[in-house]
Amino acid sequence: MNLRLILAVIVGRLAMFASRLTGRGRGSSLPGKLALRIYPAILDHYRRQPRKGVIMVTGTNGKTTTNNMLVGILEQAGHKVVANREGANLMTGVVTAFIRSGSITGRVSTDYAVLEVDEAVFPLVSSLIKPDMVVVTNFFRDQLDRYGELDTTVKKVLEALKKLTSDAKLILNGDDPLVARLAVESGLPALFYGVLPVQELSVGASYSREAKFCPLCGASLLYGIYIYSQLGDYSCPGCGFARPNPDLEASAVFEEETGIKAMVRGTDGHWEVRLPVRGIHNLYNALAAFSASLSLQVAPQTALVSLGKYLPATGRMESFCYNNRRVLLNLVKNPTGFNRALFALLGDHEAPKQDVLIAINDNDADGRDISWLWDVDFEMLALQPEKFSQFVCSGQRAEDMALRLKYAGVPVWMVDIEKDYQQAVDQVLNGKGDSVGILATYTALWPVEKILSRQAERVKEHDDYSLSPVS
Amino acid sequence: MTITVCHLYPDLLNLYGDRGNVMVFAQRCRWRGIPVRIMEVNLGDQVQFEDYDFLFIGGGSDREQGLMVEDLTARVNNLRAAVEDGLVVLAICGGYQLMGKYYRMPDGTEIPGLGLMDHYTEAGDTRLIGNVVVDAELGGIKTRLVGFENHGGRTFLNGIQPLGKVLHGGGNNGSDGTEGARYRNVFCSYLHGPLLPKNPALTDLLITLSLQRRGQDHRLEPLDDNFEELANQAMIEKLLGKK
Repeated sequence: MNLRLILAVIVGRLAMFASRLTGRGRGSSLPGKLALRIYPAILDHYRRQPRKGVIMVTGTNGKTTTNNMLVGILEQAGHKVVANREGANLMTGVVTAFIRSGSITGRVSTDYAVLEVDEAVFPLVSSLIKPDMVVVTNFFRDQLDRYGELDTTVKKVLEALKKLTSDAKLILNGDDPLVARLAVESGLPALFYGVLPVQELSVGASYSREAKFCPLCGASLLYGIYIYSQLGDYSCPGCGFARPNPDLEASAVFEEETGIKAMVRGTDGHWEVRLPVRGIHNLYNALAAFSASLSLQVAPQTALVSLGKYLPATGRMESFCYNNRRVLLNLVKNPTGFNRALFALLGDHEAPKQDVLIAINDNDADGRDISWLWDVDFEMLALQPEKFSQFVCSGQRAEDMALRLKYAGVPVWMVDIEKDYQQAVDQVLNGKGDSVGILATYTALWPVEKILSRQAERVKEHDDYSLSPVS
Repeated sequence: MTITVCHLYPDLLNLYGDRGNVMVFAQRCRWRGIPVRIMEVNLGDQVQFEDYDFLFIGGGSDREQGLMVEDLTARVNNLRAAVEDGLVVLAICGGYQLMGKYYRMPDGTEIPGLGLMDHYTEAGDTRLIGNVVVDAELGGIKTRLVGFENHGGRTFLNGIQPLGKVLHGGGNNGSDGTEGARYRNVFCSYLHGPLLPKNPALTDLLITLSLQRRGQDHRLEPLDDNFEELANQAMIEKLLGKK
């Protein structure tokens, strides 16, 4: 018996209990922090617990959604799963997930560990818990001041992958050249997923495109179709690097009022996928989870049933209702994700006029540098001002957000600065529009969500599969 | 007259929202009824720098910066002539380093710069990252500039004039209290944020100088800078406390 391990688990559990009792924080990283301090080798121990394997999900956007979808599928298939489902994706969050699911002596009875791991800490975490499978969603620019430049992040993930055993399997987004390169350069076996590149899906030029040059030889990449950001149908005239032929490919993509559907072709058949969440980025997340589950021998029908009742975690397009008006809450953390959220606002034909709240913070978890707001294409809002009744800017950097909208061409009389969250939420809830859109960075999301859940009614389409919220 | 803006290598140097500088420069011209045209110049494009009124160059990641140095070195005489003639330039971060003599790597190798100005840069052990406040004098008026720095290099001015004095943050090198550099109508800075939106006095100085170079010497019409001043002031209060 290992007394330090037991002590670490007990202290972690007490911290979990205490944070729940006091209602302060959600207790998804402090327990892990304390346990690591008491017994630094704790991850080594937990690595040996899952019977069937450890799967990690990393990348810039869609980690939480992909991870939660994969957990849902594996549970639907009857497996026991340990997961950090709260989006607590740093080292401490991973440890907390194990502590929560295990016994006092540190035993965890589980088939799989499915771990969402921040791309910047992936090298460290993957060296301590060697994963059997790694899912990589995409690489976009995110919080540069914390992570250094994107090139560096991708290279570090690549170096970490090279240190895994040669049978570790990769599930990769083949439409992102920055992700697809990982297969070529790591030499690990890989399965690719993607979306059939057709003109109807292309949302046009967006400024925040990352991969203009071939990651392997540096020549300018040629694109047939951009789906969004740098995802698309690319090829390199220099070295022949190109979008791989996907093992799982979606086509006939159709956005519906309540979600998105597509035909998906795999090596063993084709199926219709229906998701209760909107946006092509969510289709990519579902393809990632579906690919991983097929590779783990889950029956396709089981996976499809689970995906069909997926419920988003906090801030991933959550719906509320207030006075018969729909309120949509969305997390924004980088230009690509923000552009997707703006497209969603503009594409909402049900609501001729909307009240919009944007809350921007600059704490460490948000990224202290908010320059990236200038890489978001807010100009698209100014092209259709009649679709909006007002823009309320809140959070620590409310003034910067207002300034950004002004230079994007949004009339200043439509823009208000209201630093107090309660006042800001009240102002949009009681606005003149037909619906409300709220976009917030990580640490601004919680206070806003708390106010919303007190004042508005949460819209749940499926009560049987609810996820705990982000920390 | 129409002000012609040259945005250098927007495809390569697109980190940290620096394109916001070009957007803000152009908007503040348009709001005053001054026609403005933005030309994006990428690797290998034909360019006569003298034809432009304002040139913006930002920073990129290491590899992209390498490509840019190569391309610009081939046109350095053309650029030098324009700078000596009074071309208005804003160079940020990597673009700033490039205007100087060299960048010395930790192992001692020197990557040559364009040598248009005398400053030089040495790699540091740590990155200087964070919000910055700078006291500057622009066109005879004292101004407080705010921005966000994120750089590993330490730049030493070697006799040229700084853009301003650091009140909070690292600045050029974290030791001599200077930030940025000025030479003729070239303004260099490490500040992202981007720099121009929250510092309208600097933007307007750049516009004024661009017009003066073409013989149009008149005062710019004032604009409603409520949001600009609020954003500038909020950062100053956050870092230096309320007055």
